[in-house]
Amino acid sequence: MSSDARALPARGWVTDKLFLGLSLTDYLKSLLTPGTIIAGLIMAVGIPVIIYRFAYGLGAATNLSQTNPWGIWIGFDMLAGVALAAGGYTLATSVYIFGLKEYHPIVRPAILTGFLGYLFAVLGLTADLGRPWNLPVPLFISWGGPSVMFEIAWCVVLYLTVLFLEFLPPVFEWLGWKKALSLANKTTIGLTVFGVILSTLHQSSLGGLFLMAPTKLHPLWYSPFIPAYFFISSIAAGLAMVIVESGLSHRAFKSRVDHHVDVDKLVVGLARGASIVLFCYFFVKLQGVADGDRWHLLGTGYGLWFLVEIVGFVLVPSMLFAWGARNRRVTLIRWTAAWTVLGIIVNRLNVSVIALNWNAADRYVPSWMEVTLSLTLITIGISSFRWIVNRMPVLNEHEITGRHHA
Amino acid sequence: MIPHDILTLYSAKMLEYGIAILFLLLFIPFWRFSQSTATALATARAAVPARKKAESGWFPVPADRLFHQGHAWARPDSDGLVTVGLDGFAARLVGPLASVALPQVGSKVGQGERAWRLMTDDGQGVDMLAPVDGTIAAINTDLAKDPDATIADPYGKGWLVRVRPDRLRANLTNLLTGQAARRWMDETVAGLQARLSPGLGALAQDGGVPVSGMARVIDAANWHGLARTYLLTSEKEDGRA
Amino acid sequence: MNLNRRLFLKVAGAAGAVAAAPVATARAAEGEVAPEISSERRGVLVDTTKCVGCRACEAACTETNRQPAPAMLDDPAVYTKGPRAMDTRHYTVVNAATTKAAAAAPARFIKRQCMHCLEPACASACLVRALNKTPTGPVEYHKDRCLGCRYCMVACPFDVPKYEYESPSPFVQKCTFCGDRQARGESPACTSVCPSGALLFGRRTDLVDIARERLYAKGSTYVRHIFGENEVGGTSWMYITDIPFDQLGLPTNLGTYAYSSLTQASLAAVPFVLTLWPPLLMGLYTFSKRRADVAAQESGDQEAHDE
Repeated sequence: MSSDARALPARGWVTDKLFLGLSLTDYLKSLLTPGTIIAGLIMAVGIPVIIYRFAYGLGAATNLSQTNPWGIWIGFDMLAGVALAAGGYTLATSVYIFGLKEYHPIVRPAILTGFLGYLFAVLGLTADLGRPWNLPVPLFISWGGPSVMFEIAWCVVLYLTVLFLEFLPPVFEWLGWKKALSLANKTTIGLTVFGVILSTLHQSSLGGLFLMAPTKLHPLWYSPFIPAYFFISSIAAGLAMVIVESGLSHRAFKSRVDHHVDVDKLVVGLARGASIVLFCYFFVKLQGVADGDRWHLLGTGYGLWFLVEIVGFVLVPSMLFAWGARNRRVTLIRWTAAWTVLGIIVNRLNVSVIALNWNAADRYVPSWMEVTLSLTLITIGISSFRWIVNRMPVLNEHEITGRHHA
Repeated sequence: MIPHDILTLYSAKMLEYGIAILFLLLFIPFWRFSQSTATALATARAAVPARKKAESGWFPVPADRLFHQGHAWARPDSDGLVTVGLDGFAARLVGPLASVALPQVGSKVGQGERAWRLMTDDGQGVDMLAPVDGTIAAINTDLAKDPDATIADPYGKGWLVRVRPDRLRANLTNLLTGQAARRWMDETVAGLQARLSPGLGALAQDGGVPVSGMARVIDAANWHGLARTYLLTSEKEDGRA
Repeated sequence: MNLNRRLFLKVAGAAGAVAAAPVATARAAEGEVAPEISSERRGVLVDTTKCVGCRACEAACTETNRQPAPAMLDDPAVYTKGPRAMDTRHYTVVNAATTKAAAAAPARFIKRQCMHCLEPACASACLVRALNKTPTGPVEYHKDRCLGCRYCMVACPFDVPKYEYESPSPFVQKCTFCGDRQARGESPACTSVCPSGALLFGRRTDLVDIARERLYAKGSTYVRHIFGENEVGGTSWMYITDIPFDQLGLPTNLGTYAYSSLTQASLAAVPFVLTLWPPLLMGLYTFSKRRADVAAQESGDQEAHDE
């Protein structure tokens, strides 16, 4: 650290670390941006909704029914949330296992997005559970081994821990704890490997849940290969989400970003990877249709919707990513990534809510409170991302504050 | 485990094999397509010579300064004020100046906001961003007589303004120093080298010191656009979060 | 069926319900197979050709479980309102078949409740074994363990488990097969009050034999299939009837595989992933590191060469 540090006025830890060096009033004033105000409004409606849900129960807050026990808190918050948080393991693997060091600048935001994504998926799940205070039961008290849900519970808890540990280096750099930092840095490879194992298991198992619903899930989506579908699409989801997140971060946090990292080049590289994964995913889904001999279903209403999903949201983005990467069209790539993210959400909602109970008399539509709660969780997630990025070396690891980082 | 009857199984399996073979046939060209670069783009890149390692000696980075990514430096002094100037890279990039338009004493500046303008003898002006938030306490009046002092001695006599800082600690998180600043400077130079075409000799390939006014040598027609890109003061963005 | 006879049977049935529930042995009910089998699997054979739709079983069930009495208990018009579903306060319902037969054909009724499958999907799905299959038949619910994830509801092919959405402390609710009564040597409340012998409680293997006898008897009009003998791996509650099963509202698209087998393949992969991924990933890591080291060395040599 330069010798000038001693010439600077001394400030308390709270002011320095938490209030960005400002006095409390100045800090609060600096928070009055349009984005923060919108977030505040969402939370002003959302937090009472959360309280209401826990005070009055699921029936009062949701449109769940005896025929439709799962809604968007499972389909969107849990399933789509976990899929889109897969950028953590895909980027960590690319950098630390495959040795693609050029992606190092975007590993940290990807891990942070992963950690916050999983955290808020779990919070969405907590809102959905009827008896969330029993969450320790499958971990410590009663083990339902044959259950896919049991495996998911363990994997998610362990993976959340892994992501938290993987994010400790920037936290220790922020706090200036050098010994802890060097210890944390030594664990990176091990955590990455463990993280890939856990991700493989639970990303596929989230699909595996629906193996138990052969008569309820529409035959075009039901397949013994659902676990493979979910796992493969999670890779594409992670890559697309990293592209989207890096685009948004670079605009929102311009002064924090390392201007000398050619992010466009990295985005092109990610697009190349995503195009291959989506290409393979399309064929794998097609194989599922062949294996079940379901061709005749493609002409039905749901068949058309299935084609929209695999052609419009998988094959088309695959082609666009490839073309965009070849011609270095970064804006096109970013829009394709957003479209792919939407496609992942569409797929997860299809499997859990739209194509599930497709032939039941009583169909499910989310209530406004369900939508609000999900939106609120996302808002809190984005706000947390912003809080962390404004303080810790996530977007620019060239020790903006001059501290050494391995 | 959806039961199939044996007859549909035959056709289903043949179809599956067929799709798999189709996939393999399509995969090879698709891999090549997605992993390659379009020919026009590739030729353009090939015209640029391979990078040489940037000499960190070209733009020495004094240890006692804090650098903003817009190539301004800040030095907190013992009297509580912060001295501000532009760095060696910016000096070399822009070259000889006609004048420097400095902000008035008592006016406010913001970190990452436009603060002063470098005027060159062709009437072009290039803005630069202030490295800290605060109020102007003093300006370097010598520059009115000798604007080139900024270019000749950017870290010494060429200082620009002295600022009374508002929120220095907060500003510090966005400034580079020490090894980080050196690495940043190296990368800046490496990026600049990538723009060179051979034979112009703007940067002597034998490792000599760069020419004053590099921007004009690199891109005579639009050198101010180039300079603004490096100083983060192009039309669309001004570097502020 | 003429109203007078039905009314008589209903009254008799109701009287029987009052007498039989909640305490004392219920073996006296006609047609029951000896239930003194202590450790063998029990089941119930539901012969819908004998069911008169009196709903005494519904009344006995709500009474045993201290739940509000079923709606329109004395009113046969309940069957005109369309099939009812089980809910959190009524573990069993009797519905009329949607018969397309001629007007003179006898009405058919079907009692629905938890099937207490031999390989229950719900128990296999439950991550905390809140739903647990006992060796003698009942699939019991341990409410203290339940998280309320409702996966059992997704998994059950018969849509049996119901959820107390309106409660801030909700539980899953379903027929218990009167596990506590069975433990005392009694038969379930519903089977003990059935006046017409439509419900037969006993050893499951014996019930299958009895059913087959009826199905293949000379001049029998039964559909030659015991529903629940093999569906989803077999259920404790089995049905025989003389009309198509779908007219009774039973799902006819179920295979004979147990639902637990559907997830076993993907769960079996877990130990393989845990074992094979580490060497695979560490191999890739070593390979890429080696390549990077070699490349660095080569470029270092190149530089030395250039100078």
